[in-house]
Amino acid sequence: MPNFLNKLAEILEVDEVKREDVLEEFENWDSLTVLSIVATLDANYGLNLTSGDLKKVKTVGELADKISSHI
Amino acid sequence: MNLVFKKKKISALLAIVPANERTFEEDMAKFNFTTARSLKLKKVMGYDRHRVVNDSVCVSDLACFGLQFLFDRGHLERDDFDALVMITQSPDYFMPPTSNVIQGRMNLKRDMLCLDINQGCAGFLIGLMQGFLLLDQPSIKKVVLINADVLSRKVSIRDRNSYPLIGDAASIAILERSDDPSEIPANLKMDGSRCEALMIPAGGFRLPSSGVTSIMEDDGENNFRAKDNLRMDGTGVFNFVQVEVPPMIADLLRIAKVSIEDIDYFIFHQPNKFMLQKLADKMKIAYDKMPSNIVELYGNSSGVTIPLAMAHNLSEYLIKQKMTICFAGFGVGLTWASMLLKVGPLTYCEIINYP
Repeated sequence: MPNFLNKLAEILEVDEVKREDVLEEFENWDSLTVLSIVATLDANYGLNLTSGDLKKVKTVGELADKISSHI
Repeated sequence: MNLVFKKKKISALLAIVPANERTFEEDMAKFNFTTARSLKLKKVMGYDRHRVVNDSVCVSDLACFGLQFLFDRGHLERDDFDALVMITQSPDYFMPPTSNVIQGRMNLKRDMLCLDINQGCAGFLIGLMQGFLLLDQPSIKKVVLINADVLSRKVSIRDRNSYPLIGDAASIAILERSDDPSEIPANLKMDGSRCEALMIPAGGFRLPSSGVTSIMEDDGENNFRAKDNLRMDGTGVFNFVQVEVPPMIADLLRIAKVSIEDIDYFIFHQPNKFMLQKLADKMKIAYDKMPSNIVELYGNSSGVTIPLAMAHNLSEYLIKQKMTICFAGFGVGLTWASMLLKVGPLTYCEIINYP
């Protein structure tokens, strides 16, 4: 999952993300970020998560786990 | 479902856009976001400017202006067509149909069919299908297919999710019978269970407009819009398009026994540059074969983006030669449709400004 974490940091425009970081607390966490994540998952993993799926996860770690469980 | 048409063509095309242009920077001032985030949105989605009507302009105004232009230039005779098919989601009235309003305003003949169809992003495709079916009638020799929307009037200026991309426009396509015996394959699917992904909740009979439906509400993400306004589940629509459109096009090409290389251009509905380029990536279509520049120049005018993309990008070719075009529309309904059609040489193909 390191690739995804790097990509997530890039989308959020931060140097790095840690598993315990809370998604909503990132300054750039908004609908554009959600769409960018959804698009990345579609393009790189063939995964189609909805914004509803993303609302259920709180931390970077939970998001990474959710993606792993779908791959 | 798979459909097949025979011996039909688009013979001419006119697009009408409001002269009134807004820039993304002007829009930004109304959004409840930092300048940096708004500029990021502009960059990622490929927004720049868009054409919107002044508040009182209706679709019949755009349509009548376009028809008058065609009559004045001698491109079309007032009594020379037998059906007027009007595709719109922003009619002048609930009743009568806008096609009849146009018929009356333009003094068209009585021996004709006027038909309104409520369709959005796939409306141009549905209109082509309906027009081609009508042309099977011996009495119907020419169909005027008008596609027009002024949905900017229903979008909240404080909704960053929809306002920067909305555009108003109209198109008039002339449909006729053709001598070319080759089949015209098309396909079509719909899913009403997801009809709320793109909707205007209030203003119809289910929820009439009232003081309550005009109250601005936060969508939870700093976008303010009322129930009277258009709303879109952006992520939901993105997923829908990425999941449904590539297999639809693959099916169409398989049935037509052609490959991507055989297609001159892929003219798709234009939701925004971001979504189109993701689609192109997924389908392995070169960006220069799939124009995605309509939203940044004119905005997303629902189904009209397809004829507008054709007129803006291909008019110099289409007036001279025949091109094999793969059309696709997808959105409101939800509806998704595609068609493989040889287009050209057209007798005219232009974009004009509505003053």
